Amino acid sequence: MAIIITWVRAVGLFYGNVAPFMLGITALLLGFVLLPALYEGWADGLLPALLLIKLITSPVVWYLSEQMRPNQYWLYYNLGVSRRRLWVGVGVLDGLLFLGLTVGLQRLYS
Amino acid sequence: MTLPSRFCVTEPHLLEADGIRLSFGSRQVLADIYLRVQTGQITGLLGRNGSGKSSLLQTVFGARTVPDASVRVNGHRVVPAFQTPGLVNYLPQASLLPTNLSLGQVARLLRVDWEAATANFPELRGQFRCRPGELSGGTARLLQVLLLLHADTAFSLFDEPFTGVMPLHLETLADEMQRVKPRKGLLLSDHRYAEVLALCDVVYLLHQGRLLKLGADPRAELCDYGYLAT
Repeated sequence: MAIIITWVRAVGLFYGNVAPFMLGITALLLGFVLLPALYEGWADGLLPALLLIKLITSPVVWYLSEQMRPNQYWLYYNLGVSRRRLWVGVGVLDGLLFLGLTVGLQRLYS
Repeated sequence: MTLPSRFCVTEPHLLEADGIRLSFGSRQVLADIYLRVQTGQITGLLGRNGSGKSSLLQTVFGARTVPDASVRVNGHRVVPAFQTPGLVNYLPQASLLPTNLSLGQVARLLRVDWEAATANFPELRGQFRCRPGELSGGTARLLQVLLLLHADTAFSLFDEPFTGVMPLHLETLADEMQRVKPRKGLLLSDHRYAEVLALCDVVYLLHQGRLLKLGADPRAELCDYGYLAT
């Protein structure tokens, strides 16, 4: 249980570091694609495409993060959390957040 | 005997690493390595710049993946070691501390008692709410060492723990390490060889990819191998 709690804390902390990249992409997709689509009425079936774009941009975020902050992992290693587990956690968290915001906006406009 | 899910730091442990071979391009940095660290001992690691000290520490810790590397505790393979709860922590040359967290928050994450960690450094206790950017380099370094030293792990690996730390604090830090060593195995690498020789029970020299255990007259050996001039 302690391992899971530590992992959740580590993922939350790490997400705070990469959030400017990830949430920036989310904001761009929702603000410049989904909202106009909802406003103009062609948003049906757009969710899979948005998710795909979000997925495609993930390696870019990962690359930028690795290049800009190569020493960011040491604290997490000392918490027993590997790089892979961090990124899996962040991917799930960001995906859920993106999905939640997208579905929420669609419902708001429907 | 099976590997425990969490290490009991009150029991003695033996950490061994061997089979570590590492090359950068055509230059072989590590070859034929056998390293041994045990509870109750402070082990020193010396070597010239670029000799592979940091790479060796990172490999033992598990942050650097090296094929065929074997890291064992009490005979059980632990690769990567950092994923075994309570086994080992590591101070890198770079800062461990994220810029957006206070030292108190880091201490809580590492489950370290801040009061106990700074008990012998009363002037540092008030830094609990400080962020790394608000501290001098030496103070930040010292606090990182103290946090890892007092964390509940069986082993601590320190890469240049004395960098920037003022002499007065170095003496107290050495005393602190001596106090902690009965319950912990310590491995440290630093260019302040005089402090390392005075503090450590066992000293290794990393020379041309090989790890040499220094004997009764370490200074003479360090001169022979070109680490010291005189």
